[in-house]
Order: sequence, then structure tokens, then C-alpha cells
Amino acid sequence: MAGRRATIKAIDWAAFAERVPPNQRAMFNALKTRSDALSARLAALPEKPPTIDWAHYKATVAKAGMVDDFQKKFSALKIPEPVDTQTAKIDAQEQEAAKSTAEYVQASKARIAQYEQQLQKLRSMIPFEQMTFEDLHEAFPETKLDKEKYPYWPHKPIADL
Amino acid sequence: VLHTTRPLHTTQQCLAPLPPLPEKGGEVRHGLIPEEFFQFLYPKTGVTGPYMLGTGLLLYFLSKEIYVINHETVAAACILSVIIYGIKKFGSDVAAFADKLNEEKIAKALSVKNEAIKDLETAIEQEKKEQWRVEGRHYLFDAKRNNIAMLLETNYRERLLTVYNEVKKRLDYQVALQNLKRQKEQDHMIQWVEKSVVQSITPQQQKESIAKCILDLKALSKSAQAAV
Repeated sequence: MAGRRATIKAIDWAAFAERVPPNQRAMFNALKTRSDALSARLAALPEKPPTIDWAHYKATVAKAGMVDDFQKKFSALKIPEPVDTQTAKIDAQEQEAAKSTAEYVQASKARIAQYEQQLQKLRSMIPFEQMTFEDLHEAFPETKLDKEKYPYWPHKPIADL
Repeated sequence: VLHTTRPLHTTQQCLAPLPPLPEKGGEVRHGLIPEEFFQFLYPKTGVTGPYMLGTGLLLYFLSKEIYVINHETVAAACILSVIIYGIKKFGSDVAAFADKLNEEKIAKALSVKNEAIKDLETAIEQEKKEQWRVEGRHYLFDAKRNNIAMLLETNYRERLLTVYNEVKKRLDYQVALQNLKRQKEQDHMIQWVEKSVVQSITPQQQKESIAKCILDLKALSKSAQAAV
């Protein structure tokens, strides 16, 4: 009896639900219903089956030796525990997820650094009232007029005016 | 606002940016003469100094005929009066309009900048939120492992229960079989005994028993009448 009862951890479904992004909500709901169904089934079954009252049967059944035979065979019977084939796969999945998560987090951090940089640049800009056009082109490079490509005024295609 | 104290690059090679231009131009009296001139003459000649200077200069030019009055003077007077009237009447409106145009341009640029800042901030927040979300991945795997454990446990318990039920069914069957046999034997025995008793009642015994019953009934009816 020591091998079974792979510990069933208590899962905080509320906290789990918070972390699910909205586009995966359907999958989460499916998982939750499946989990709940399983736990309901488990709770409906008793942990140990009730013991058979051998004394009563020995007194009642007339055939000699039958009850003793049954009793001996019953106590000698060992019911095999179901073999766990999937946990290894789950662990492998977890490792993979950990790796891809680390990559994603790194990329995300790089993006955040980029955003922070731009934010810093925008915040430390001089106010528009004190800018010259040169300063404006420095701060927002897209406002610079390309005088090589369009040498004549207005230095940009007419459609862009 | 007097601009006499506005400092510019006084030494060579100053790399700091210039201070921003002042909002309003220098103050001017009568639209022409800067205030600094009046301030310059104030210590020596007081408030009326520059006016006296102006009047004196004008009279000097007129009397010495350095400035000659001719038809162009009249034309100048008319034109200037019209111009000054026009400026006095519509000046502020035009200035307000031009200022509004400028304001709009600046406001547009400012709104672009503010939106950019807001977008960046929300983007950063989203990224942080996604990171937080990703940290919760252990929930998923715990849930999966739990499911597996529950399945295994359920299966095991079902097996135990099946064994128990089967054994119990067989034992109960044996007991029920015995009971049934017993009952059948009893019923048969009772029936057989009844049949043989009924058969053994001879007609003579029957008559005697009927007569006894009638006597008993009569006695009973008498005692019943007495009671009523």
C-alpha cells in the first residue's frame, strides 16, 4: 500500500484562473471540468471496501471448506496497482516549458529594456516651445525631410502633404 | 520686460545650449521707443527727460528746416493715422489668431508625444503581466499530475470494490441457494402432512365433529343472549 497515493496536491483554482490569458480560457475550463469530474468520481468511491463477515458465512454456508477456501484465496489475493505511464511525460513537458519560458522571459525583458529606453528619451525631451526644427528632427527622425531623394520643395511626395 | 540683463555667450566655446527665447518682446513706449532708453535717461533727467529731448529735437529740426514740411508730410500724416487706427482696432485679434495657430501646432505635437509615452507604458505593463502569467505554469502541471493520480487511485479502488463484490455475490448465492432449498423442503413437508391429515379424516369422525360444533354453538348463543 505504499506505492499508491501519489500525493494529490491541493490546487488553488482561483489563482490558476487569474493567470490564464483570455485566449486560453476555453482550454482552462475544459481542464477544470475534467479535474472536477475526476475528483467527484474519486470521492464517491470508498477508500477501502467493507470487510467480508467470514464468521457469519462459515456458520451459514453448509458446504464444508468452501468458505475457508474463499477466505484463504481472498486474503492471499493481491490486487495490482495501476501502472503510472504518464507522469514521466508530464515531467518532460514541464522541463520543456521551463526552457521555453526562460527564453520568452528573456525576450520580454529585452523588449522592456527597449521600451524603457524610448520612454526615457521621450521624457527627457526639451519642450516643443523651445525646439528648433533641427532639434525636432533629432527627437523624431521621421519628421526629417529627405533632401537627397526629393531635392525640390516640399521635399516629400505630394500625396504625403 | 527689460532685456538688458539677458546674458549671451560672453566667453569663447561655451557648449551649453542657449537659454530659451523670452515669451514677449521688449517693452516699447508709443510703439517705437524701447523702454531701455527711458530707463537709461532716468537717473540724469528723471521722468520727463526723454520727452523734453524729443520735443527739443523736433523743434530744432522744424525751426532749422532740417526737416522741410511739404506735401509728403501731409500724405505721411494721413497714412500713418490710418495705419495706427487699424493696428489699434484689430491688432489684438490678429495676434490672438496667430497665437492660436501656433498653439494648435504645439498641442498636436504634444498629444503625439503623450500618446507615445502612454503606449510605451502600457506595453511595459503588458510585458510584465505576461511574465507574471508565465510564472504560474506550475499550476498547469500540478493539475495534470493530480488528474493522473486521481485516475490511478480511482482505478485501484474500483478494482478492490469489484473483487469484494464478486466474492460477496458468490457467497451470498450459496447462502441463498441453501435457504431456498430449505424452504422448499419445508413447504413440501407441510403440504404432505396436511394432505395426509385431510385424507385420514373418516366420514364418521366428520359427523361427530359437526355435531359437537353445533352443541358448542348453541351453548355459546345461550350465554350470549344472557349477556345482552
